[in-house]
Amino acid sequence: MAEYRTHMKIIGDILSTTRDDLQDEDGATITYLIRKANISHSRISSILKTLVSQGLLEKVDNQSSNKYKISQSGREFLQAYNTFTNFADNFGLSI
Amino acid sequence: MEFLLESILNLVGFLVGLSIGVISFIGFRNTGSPTLFRLTIAFISISLGFFVIWTGYMVEDFIIKSGSIEKWIQTLGIVIQTIGYFFIAFSHSIKSFFPKSSYFRSVGIFPLFLVSSVQLEHVFRSISFILLAYGAIETMLSYFENRNRGTIWVSMGLGLLALGEFLGWYSFVFPESIMYPISMIIKIAGLISLFIPVSRVPLKKIKFDEDLG
Repeated sequence: MAEYRTHMKIIGDILSTTRDDLQDEDGATITYLIRKANISHSRISSILKTLVSQGLLEKVDNQSSNKYKISQSGREFLQAYNTFTNFADNFGLSI
Repeated sequence: MEFLLESILNLVGFLVGLSIGVISFIGFRNTGSPTLFRLTIAFISISLGFFVIWTGYMVEDFIIKSGSIEKWIQTLGIVIQTIGYFFIAFSHSIKSFFPKSSYFRSVGIFPLFLVSSVQLEHVFRSISFILLAYGAIETMLSYFENRNRGTIWVSMGLGLLALGEFLGWYSFVFPESIMYPISMIIKIAGLISLFIPVSRVPLKKIKFDEDLG
């Protein structure tokens, strides 16, 4: 059975991919993020827009396609996310 | 003896509840997670409930000196704690149960019929017992999924608090017995068990960012 992912978990997966699993130094394309984070195009577009507006991701304009890189705020958010995921795990809950 | 145990229990409950509540709140401010918000409400309520009873004992001991705590203060503290236990159970019910099954609602009402003729305090103790037992079972089930050792401590803590509440509630049948002091010792052990995994959260690494709330 497929695991249910909360909105927060999907954001965590996207940020983790842009931090740890980049294709190249310029960042990750939407197609790459869709594959890695296992999410539909329509849903990831709105999430990426929000993450860029919140300053957690940086949009790198490229001639061929847009790419996304994690920002310093994004790294701090991801660190907090991982810490509090473990904290909630202790209570048998997911954040 | 009973007064000393009550004071220790309520002080430990206040401090443990406050610590977990504050950590949950920091988590909520940093991530915006609704789960952490519910945990914040739960543990701040539990902390406040213990604080109300502890204050009642202190006021009685140092100011009023009547020999026993005002019943309404004890009841108020227990009601506030029950709200906290409800939010712990509610967090689990959102995850796996509610609103598909009517089980939770039916067992929630059950103790009201059992103790309808006794004091309000015992009604809320019995509700707390049901909520804590439910939280302990759900947390233990989560352990079988994630195998996180901290989950065992939390499950054991909630289970001990449930047992303590049950004995505390049941002690009205045997008012002068050792049952009530034992219930308090078990609850203190439960609170310590709850705090063990939380004490390992590495908060120093978190850079609190106001803009992310």
